Amino acid sequence: MADPRYDWGPLVGDLAARKARALEMGGEKLVERQRSLGKLTVRERLDLLLDPGTWVEYGLLADHMDAGLGDRYLAADGAITGVGEIDGRPVAVAAYDFTVMAGSMGGVGESKIARMRAHALRQRIPFVWLLDSAGARIQSTSGSSFAGAGALFREQVAMSGVVPMVAAILGHCAAGTAYIPGLADFVPMVKGTSSMALGGRHLVKAAVGEDVTEEEMGGSAVHTKVSGVADLEVADDEECLRVVRDYLSFFPQHNRERPPVRTSTDPVDRRAEELYELVPTAARRAYDVRKVVHAIVDDGHVFWMKPEWAKNVVTGLARVGGQAVGIVANQPMVLGGALDVNAADKAARFVWLCDAFNIPLVFLHDVPGFIVGSAVEKQGIIRHGAKMLFAVSEATVPKISVVLRKSYGAGYFVMNGLAYEADYIVAWPTAEIAVMGPDGAVNIIHRRQLEAIEDEEERAARRLELAEEIRANIDPYIAAGHAQLDDVIDPADTRAAIARGLHVTADKQVDRPWRKHGVLPV
Amino acid sequence: MAEIRAEITANVWQVVVEEGQMVAEGDEICILESMKMEIPVTTEVPGVVRELDVEPGQTVQEGDRIALIDES
Repeated sequence: MADPRYDWGPLVGDLAARKARALEMGGEKLVERQRSLGKLTVRERLDLLLDPGTWVEYGLLADHMDAGLGDRYLAADGAITGVGEIDGRPVAVAAYDFTVMAGSMGGVGESKIARMRAHALRQRIPFVWLLDSAGARIQSTSGSSFAGAGALFREQVAMSGVVPMVAAILGHCAAGTAYIPGLADFVPMVKGTSSMALGGRHLVKAAVGEDVTEEEMGGSAVHTKVSGVADLEVADDEECLRVVRDYLSFFPQHNRERPPVRTSTDPVDRRAEELYELVPTAARRAYDVRKVVHAIVDDGHVFWMKPEWAKNVVTGLARVGGQAVGIVANQPMVLGGALDVNAADKAARFVWLCDAFNIPLVFLHDVPGFIVGSAVEKQGIIRHGAKMLFAVSEATVPKISVVLRKSYGAGYFVMNGLAYEADYIVAWPTAEIAVMGPDGAVNIIHRRQLEAIEDEEERAARRLELAEEIRANIDPYIAAGHAQLDDVIDPADTRAAIARGLHVTADKQVDRPWRKHGVLPV
Repeated sequence: MAEIRAEITANVWQVVVEEGQMVAEGDEICILESMKMEIPVTTEVPGVVRELDVEPGQTVQEGDRIALIDES
């Protein structure tokens, strides 16, 4: 008979039972309900996000520890935290469990997440939030102890640009859990089951009297097509976790590291002759620039960011010769590729993202300029345009430009014109770089002369003639003659040109005068 | 019924369809001209062009209705 003084059986058994209970999450009924909503459980999500067998959990045995909630058990306090690996590289994770009190943010759960934020910063590893949470646990925090709250956002701001941050929206997120994505770098949203809003449906009804569903107010359609808060709409939880892995594959672990190189069998000197078919030589004609991007990057693989919002500019992560690049391209198919407030916003943010994490930028110019007129002035086009100027000027990563066709006015500047420390700038034979197009310029340069012609037909004919005179001076060989273009290239060799640009700029260093920070136009 | 609206202040350069015509998703309804660019306006839904609100040469403001498509 065993000596009872050395009987570990009950102790170890009790420990195992506590852990098993925590892994049951909110219990069978609520787990069933989670599945019936078309959502995976938080544990299933972690399995899909991370490499098998790499998960190290922190705080599995946590509970709410709130006298006000009585003897109720809240598994892990509704917030799962720990470290796992994606493609062999560690990431810190905070995953809200909707089956535990609607994933509400409790005191213990939040302190677990704070611990993970600190860990991610010390280790310089990316942070991933899997959000499925009703927001603050009002039952516990409705009093004035709130005055001490809010560190989570300040700490997240301190992490910004140091380590990559992803906030995946996998459920209905209100208030607290809606600002986390607002401060994250990349935000995918699951169609149909997810939403985010500063106030949930019931609060909105009470506060402003609006009767609206979560989906109508802050569903994936709203945030990926209208507001631009989210980056990508995905079909289900599985796709969502897959895109998080794919997104992070382009990024270094932190801002002092280079992005990983992923070699490809796609030769860097591959000629893309399909570009002759894709792009009309007539500058007025529209085409889909996304096809141009697919044609020139490794294996045609592009990770589009915000593809359904501000579609007049396209932004995406891709690789050329295995090296990660951020691509910014004007889209002639939408609004003629002219830049408006949202396009400037989208491009500026993307440039800041790539610059923060040492991802070289490639700009494909085909832009008639910024949209002009009273409508855009009221929207603050100057402020938003200035934001894009600011971001592109400030970026110190290698910056490569390819002028496909037209590039006019400030549109040329914000697309990384020569004066913006473009490291390698080349053009196709179709390139037109000028302060504005001949058809616009003629009305300014020759306005009096044209107004003096009374016959309308005669005036139109003269206008065309004068525009042609101006057009004759808009020629890539004139810019190349002034050495304001580093080369004029055959469109089919665009991929090779970008690879050359990356090769010669690999060790770029830029020194600027010290400042605390610029004053950002936002 | 789906409304197609102008996304930019522009001149109407060409109207490609006629009232009563069947259109497929992605078909061009008209081509606007703005910022010296041809800007094709397409339908996101298939159906019949029930009403056409524009003619060549006129100006449209951002948000103006261009056509009404009866979804089939």
